[in-house]
Amino acid sequence: MSLVLVAIVLAIGAGAVVAVSTRDAAAAPIGLAVALVGSALLADPLPSAPILGVRIVAALLAATLIRWAARGGPRQFSPLGWPSEALLATAGAVAGLGLAVGLASISVGVGAGPTDGPGPIGPGVGLPSLPTGEVLTSMALTVAAGTSLLVLGAAPMVHGRPGVRRAIGLVLVAQAVLLLRVGVAGPAVELEEIARAAFLVACAGTGAALAHATAVAHATATPHDGPA
Amino acid sequence: MNLLLLASVAIGAGLATIFFSGTKPRAALAVGIAGSLAVLVVALAMPTEESLQIGGVGLVSTPLVRGMAVAWSAGLAVLGLLEVAIGGRPTVVGPALVGIAVATAALATKDPASSVAALAAGGVAGVVIPGLSGWLDGPESPSRLPTTSRGSLAVLGSGLIGLAAIGWAASPAGPLEGGAGEGLGDPGVRLASGLALLAMVVAVAFRSGLIPLHVWAARFMEGVSPLAIPAAFAWGSAAFVLVALDWSQVFLGPDAAGDVESALIIGLSLLSLVLGGLAAMVHDDIEHVLGYSILQDAGIALLAFASLEPEVAAAARNWLVASATVKTGLAAWAAVVRATYGGHRLEDLGGWARHSPVLGLSFAALLVAAIGLPGMALFDARASLISSAMPGVGAVVTILIAAMPAIYLGRIASAGLRPIGQAVAVGPSGRPKWSGGRAGGWSEGTRRDIVRAIPADLRANRAALMALGVLALAVMGLMTAVGGAGG
Repeated sequence: MSLVLVAIVLAIGAGAVVAVSTRDAAAAPIGLAVALVGSALLADPLPSAPILGVRIVAALLAATLIRWAARGGPRQFSPLGWPSEALLATAGAVAGLGLAVGLASISVGVGAGPTDGPGPIGPGVGLPSLPTGEVLTSMALTVAAGTSLLVLGAAPMVHGRPGVRRAIGLVLVAQAVLLLRVGVAGPAVELEEIARAAFLVACAGTGAALAHATAVAHATATPHDGPA
Repeated sequence: MNLLLLASVAIGAGLATIFFSGTKPRAALAVGIAGSLAVLVVALAMPTEESLQIGGVGLVSTPLVRGMAVAWSAGLAVLGLLEVAIGGRPTVVGPALVGIAVATAALATKDPASSVAALAAGGVAGVVIPGLSGWLDGPESPSRLPTTSRGSLAVLGSGLIGLAAIGWAASPAGPLEGGAGEGLGDPGVRLASGLALLAMVVAVAFRSGLIPLHVWAARFMEGVSPLAIPAAFAWGSAAFVLVALDWSQVFLGPDAAGDVESALIIGLSLLSLVLGGLAAMVHDDIEHVLGYSILQDAGIALLAFASLEPEVAAAARNWLVASATVKTGLAAWAAVVRATYGGHRLEDLGGWARHSPVLGLSFAALLVAAIGLPGMALFDARASLISSAMPGVGAVVTILIAAMPAIYLGRIASAGLRPIGQAVAVGPSGRPKWSGGRAGGWSEGTRRDIVRAIPADLRANRAALMALGVLALAVMGLMTAVGGAGG
């Protein structure tokens, strides 16, 4: 376990909670940026410098697009409030840790509880070893961060009103699936890293375009309201 | 290197077209059409077997990749010219070029996760841009934003589900632990394999807008220009289905489709086949007929997941490329009819074929291509897909399914043969007229006068030129339906 990785997971969760729950339109993209950049850094060992650059550029570009869309639109925030969202994120992370431990136990063929030794999980892909008593491996933390983002992003993406909150939900869910993909099946090859970055930016661009169109429609419908 | 060049040209021209479509629409369209032609040239020059290594993954161009790139880019060049003739903000060529770039790269790459992520990222442009910029009923139409939002979520969601399925299949709980298709004697592995297959089928259903996930697709198709439909649905869905099918066949293997999985897949497919066909028969507007016919095509392709045998996968490749080419022609026909006569309901289009014989001829070619005849690649691919999924009754079902386009396209054809109605009579006939040339000095003027008269002549013959464009696409569709796509 690395304390740095744990700190990164906490930063991801905190950023995502801010992104979905804040009433300040400017703070949401900052929280999102923290969550996305943290996700880019969540690996042990870190990927090569070019791949790390691709990840961080994609994360910042996604946050920039959301920031652009957040200007002028209606204010949107979590009806639950940040404490509830934080608890949800924690529950999601714990569930993710449980999932990771379960998968690790399957991989070593014991059936229950984490044990030593790596296990093959597919053609050309490997899961790192899981020493006895060790739960917080980097893969387990990746899965935990993924499930945490999934829980936070799913509701705004599916049930949220059109606007910047739905866009943030879409980006969080996309990042969650990308993290889960790495967490359960191992690191991605370089080409996949580029495709994943493009996918994240496409999600942010789509969400931002829709949020911007919603803001324009909202401004047309209520011409006397000032920007949020 | 041709593959890399093709993808680079397509994505560069596509992004330039998208970015400048709002401020400089004519220049953007010119870049888009030139880009389409450049992609066509590169695709024609591409060898059928070429491989390169990028980012740790091999990319191999195959006859399928080449065939798809040639058919899509050639069709897109004509669609771009039709977009020039019809007018309005360009929303078709840019997203389609991005779609060609990601589709060719995705079909060539040997890493399924990269392919799925790229297809979802590139494919969403085909929904968002026409949805936000090219809504025919005006930007204030109440269904515009919700439909575009649902459509975008469906395309991106299909990518997310696909990525999740690929990741889960390679996880310790997934079926790939012992290698592709191995260890299926174990009930747990068999169950995991079947679940992975079904998850990928769900992703395909989302992407293709199959019934019962079709509501956004139906609203989208009735809201945007018909020219935007092939990239969003026919070609975009075809590329996604091909990647999903390749992953299912190579990584899961044919044994993944057990009895339960096959029954579920066939049921989902029949739902789209039967209800999509019936919907196309009962609707009177040509956009709905086009949309539901594309949906029905996707339903037939889905049958390939019920068996995953190599020959069935080959039939699916032929079917998807040929049907997408035919539906590109049908979309062009629908757009030209709408632009020429203003109407889009059959009751307003009485005598359209009599009034414009070139459009009538084009539609006849498309009708033959869509139904197919025994011996044609499209007909044989459909028969193979249906027979493999439903042995015993396959021959009967094939005839029934082939009869459906005969009915719903036949209704349009019969409307064209009726006496010419009032709405059609006031539209341009589509017959060549050279009045602009004569007015500018065609017979007595200098060469410069004649050259100067060309734009006026082109405008005067707009309907005839559009009809010729549809004819070119119809011939292309017929050729692909006969020869297939090297599946």
